[in-house]
Amino acid sequence: MSTCRSEPATAEAGTSPARRALTDCAAVIVAYLPFGLTLGATLAATKLPAWVAWASSPLLFNGAAQLVAVTLLDGGAGAVVVVLGALVVSARMLLYAASLAPYAAEWPRRWRWIGGYVLTDPVYALAIGRFGRPDRGGGSRERLVYYLTVGVTLCTAWQLMTGAGVLLGGLLPEWLHVELAAPLTFLLLLLPMLTGRAAYAAAAAAGAAAVSAMTLPLGLGLVVGATAGIAAGVAVDAWRARTSRPKGVRDA
Amino acid sequence: MRELLVLVAIGAGTYVMRTAFLVLARPEPPAPLARVLLHVGPAVLGAIVVPALLAPHGAVTVAGTVPALVAAAGAWVLWRRTRNLPIALFGALALALLTTAVFR
Repeated sequence: MSTCRSEPATAEAGTSPARRALTDCAAVIVAYLPFGLTLGATLAATKLPAWVAWASSPLLFNGAAQLVAVTLLDGGAGAVVVVLGALVVSARMLLYAASLAPYAAEWPRRWRWIGGYVLTDPVYALAIGRFGRPDRGGGSRERLVYYLTVGVTLCTAWQLMTGAGVLLGGLLPEWLHVELAAPLTFLLLLLPMLTGRAAYAAAAAAGAAAVSAMTLPLGLGLVVGATAGIAAGVAVDAWRARTSRPKGVRDA
Repeated sequence: MRELLVLVAIGAGTYVMRTAFLVLARPEPPAPLARVLLHVGPAVLGAIVVPALLAPHGAVTVAGTVPALVAAAGAWVLWRRTRNLPIALFGALALALLTTAVFR
């Protein structure tokens, strides 16, 4: 497994981080198009003024939280309930930021303030996929350029997609299986991260726990799953460290 | 107007959650924290991917789950062969379409 990880790095030698980021974004944008359009159509179908519902895109930049917030508002829920519900859905952002922080520590502070705004699922997945490599995705500056290019590109695309969805409504037929595009993209971003037993254990335990917690409201299944997965990864690492220390072998 | 204010409040809250750790970042996090953070990526993505592919419309059904799992397997194989995300993604979606057509 570990031999695969260095392949892309050598193949990409000479490609600027911004260019690399744009290439990586292209497939993600296409994969997100169905979700963005559908979400836009869903926003437009609520009692809220269309522009207010769409404003959730620049304000939240987080499809799941937008869906929860606008649906609850549409159902007449109280402001506190809506805010708390949407914040629970967004709780994973804390994990994303904590996980990226060691790679962002040397970025100028103002860019970290700005970078936080564009942090969301696909931005995190692309960034950690790159920064988690043995070469840490290059130097600090390269990482910053990569991260900001991905963030700004996907953020802009999200505003346009959801805006188009508001205007066009639900145009995509169900037999296209558009609902699979986003999870398949995340699967493809996950595969390169599976570089050892601990990573497999983390992903598998997270998936199993998320499935068993699927009926929980407000996307809490994801939080439960992620917590279980992290615990499994830590446990496997600890177990391997105990059993394989004499040989000094340890997963990345 | 009230709705917009609620959205602004949520936006401010999420912004704090997204930014706090980035702004307070240190190059070398404490060792126990670093051990935990190492697994955030695979864990979060596993928690997103597995339920979404096992129960595409929120429930396990033949019409929904079978094409999704076929597509996931296809994505895995294509990615191993090509290491190319767009090829693997669209190949997998095409497989899902085909599976649905066969099942009909």
